[in-house]
Amino acid sequence: MSFIDRAAAALADPVLKTAVERTAGTAEANRAVAVEAFPDFAAARARAAAIKDHVIANLGEYLERFEANAVAAGARVHWAGTADEACAIVVDICRAAGAKTVARSKSMLGEEIGLPHALAEAGIERIETDLAEHIIQLADEPPSHIVWPAMHKTRDQVSALFRRHHASPHEDESIAAMAESARRHLRERMLGADIGISGANFLVADTGAVCTVTNEGNAELSLVPPRVHIVTAGIEKLVPSMGHAVHMLRMLARSATGAALTQYTTFYSGPKRADDADGPEEMHIVLVDNGRTAMREEGLAEMLRCIRCGACMNHCVVFRQIGGHAYGGTYPGPMGAVLTPALSGLAANRDLPQACTLNGKCQEVCPVAIPLPTLLRGWRERSWREGLEPVTTRWGVRVWACLAKRPRLYRFATSAAILGMRLWGGGGWSRSLPLAGGWTRHRDMPAPEAASFMAQYARGRRR
Amino acid sequence: MNAREAILGRLRGGADPATLDVEATRLLDRPERPVVDVADLVGGFLAQLAQARLGATFERIGAMADLPGAAQRYLAAQGLASALYLPPDPNLAALDWSGLAISHDCAPDQPAALAIARVGVAETGSLVLETAPQAPMLPNFLCLHHIVLLRAEAIVPHLEDAVLSGSQPRAHYWITGVSGTTDIEGQYVRGAHGPRFLHVVLVG
Repeated sequence: MSFIDRAAAALADPVLKTAVERTAGTAEANRAVAVEAFPDFAAARARAAAIKDHVIANLGEYLERFEANAVAAGARVHWAGTADEACAIVVDICRAAGAKTVARSKSMLGEEIGLPHALAEAGIERIETDLAEHIIQLADEPPSHIVWPAMHKTRDQVSALFRRHHASPHEDESIAAMAESARRHLRERMLGADIGISGANFLVADTGAVCTVTNEGNAELSLVPPRVHIVTAGIEKLVPSMGHAVHMLRMLARSATGAALTQYTTFYSGPKRADDADGPEEMHIVLVDNGRTAMREEGLAEMLRCIRCGACMNHCVVFRQIGGHAYGGTYPGPMGAVLTPALSGLAANRDLPQACTLNGKCQEVCPVAIPLPTLLRGWRERSWREGLEPVTTRWGVRVWACLAKRPRLYRFATSAAILGMRLWGGGGWSRSLPLAGGWTRHRDMPAPEAASFMAQYARGRRR
Repeated sequence: MNAREAILGRLRGGADPATLDVEATRLLDRPERPVVDVADLVGGFLAQLAQARLGATFERIGAMADLPGAAQRYLAAQGLASALYLPPDPNLAALDWSGLAISHDCAPDQPAALAIARVGVAETGSLVLETAPQAPMLPNFLCLHHIVLLRAEAIVPHLEDAVLSGSQPRAHYWITGVSGTTDIEGQYVRGAHGPRFLHVVLVG
């Protein structure tokens, strides 16, 4: 199914828009309050962008520093060039540990590299511990948002899933009772898992620590009890020091949920120490490239600033209409429309950069000031250069360009078209129009009210 | 060529390490952050803690010796049994816990557990905890009611001030309010996986 088909199906879904609007709208309002209360958010945003640019420009050095400090803390560091390599490393660690079950704390990178699928193929049971990830695991669906992966689900749908899958489900239909049911269901599974797998919100170069943030506390519950903790992290997650991490955390929480800080912000440095009371015996960190070095080389370095807060999609007029699944990739919304062509190729995803009004709202709310509309336009240009646009589009633009370069001919053609449209529609609305099927399939075309601007202007000057 | 060399090979050509450190330090010069009244750190901390979003409660006591009494009062007010998990911390073992059923093994559905915070942060109302031989991490996420001891003089203005320099513990974690979720229809629910209640006992 193409993006256009998926978007059409999403638009026809009577429940989806309400569901998306509810969560994204709340996030938008909460962010606005938090940003307003923060002293000089604009300057803080410029600083956050500068920190990320500094890291991306010196990524090799920071990766080596991080590796040295993480190893000194007792962690093992692995490097993966591709998604498949990353999955193979994780599966090998699981096999070496004789693991049958893994508890997973939500990580978009894990989704990006296809880890759920790789674990299933290896016969390892996966327990998603984030409430939203648990819901979509039961529904066998991909996430539809990077912060609220189950935002497309209604309480009735969640209730039905829990009743089917939980041993002692909720007694009443309140959301609190459903959350309690998931708490009961997941707790014993988390505590009994052989391995805990998480992503990383930040990798701190000067301490070798891995930072995770959650509001539920599921990361800590799923990463402390198992014997092995595996982290999969994109190489762009580096920050130089804890001080830089603090600045980025302030930006992340406010941009994502409007909070001053996530409820649980944890820094893990290596495995359990000899005399520690608890913690895993092994800690593995898998550093994943999967196209990031290429993005850095090919004009998409600014995209590597992204801290996955979701503000761009919460504020996007297109995302708010069609939700996340229509985008077809791991990452939806504006950041997804930039990332997906980089991760899975432009040819199969050329519609994504087109699904944008270029209103600039995403760039305005981005905590690291990524010029998303500019990057999307870059993909459009590249799609044109590489000849990926359909023949009709290519010819249409060529004809238009040919006319636009010849003003007299252009004015004649527009006047003729206006006359033609008026005759065709009988002075009113047209239900169909030659060469404009894409428009009239969904709505009528009004007849032009007057002559072209140039014609009116010329008449005015003569007067 | 292995993946490590391939990745690092494509990332060559940054600043030299000394310039890098100067630049990194400059990026932290006078950071934008919420204003904190350094003359009243306790007041600032408690104001953050009381925010609806954090949903925490507190009691202030004069000395460590009052801690068992404060814990007992909290449990009674919540209608809970007088039972509490205590971490194996010598500072706690020195106190008189008579009247409370104390356990040192945390049950998966532990009703109440106590922990000691190293630092509190006035900016956000966060409690900073660390792993150590006398401070297991898991009980702080298993319990339904989390009681955290914090010394009033250990409240610092900003998150940066909570950061340890030098050698790091296995894990340090900042707790800012109770476990919560908005994953179903965006509606806020307390106690998603971790504690539903957070009670800070401030000493001094």
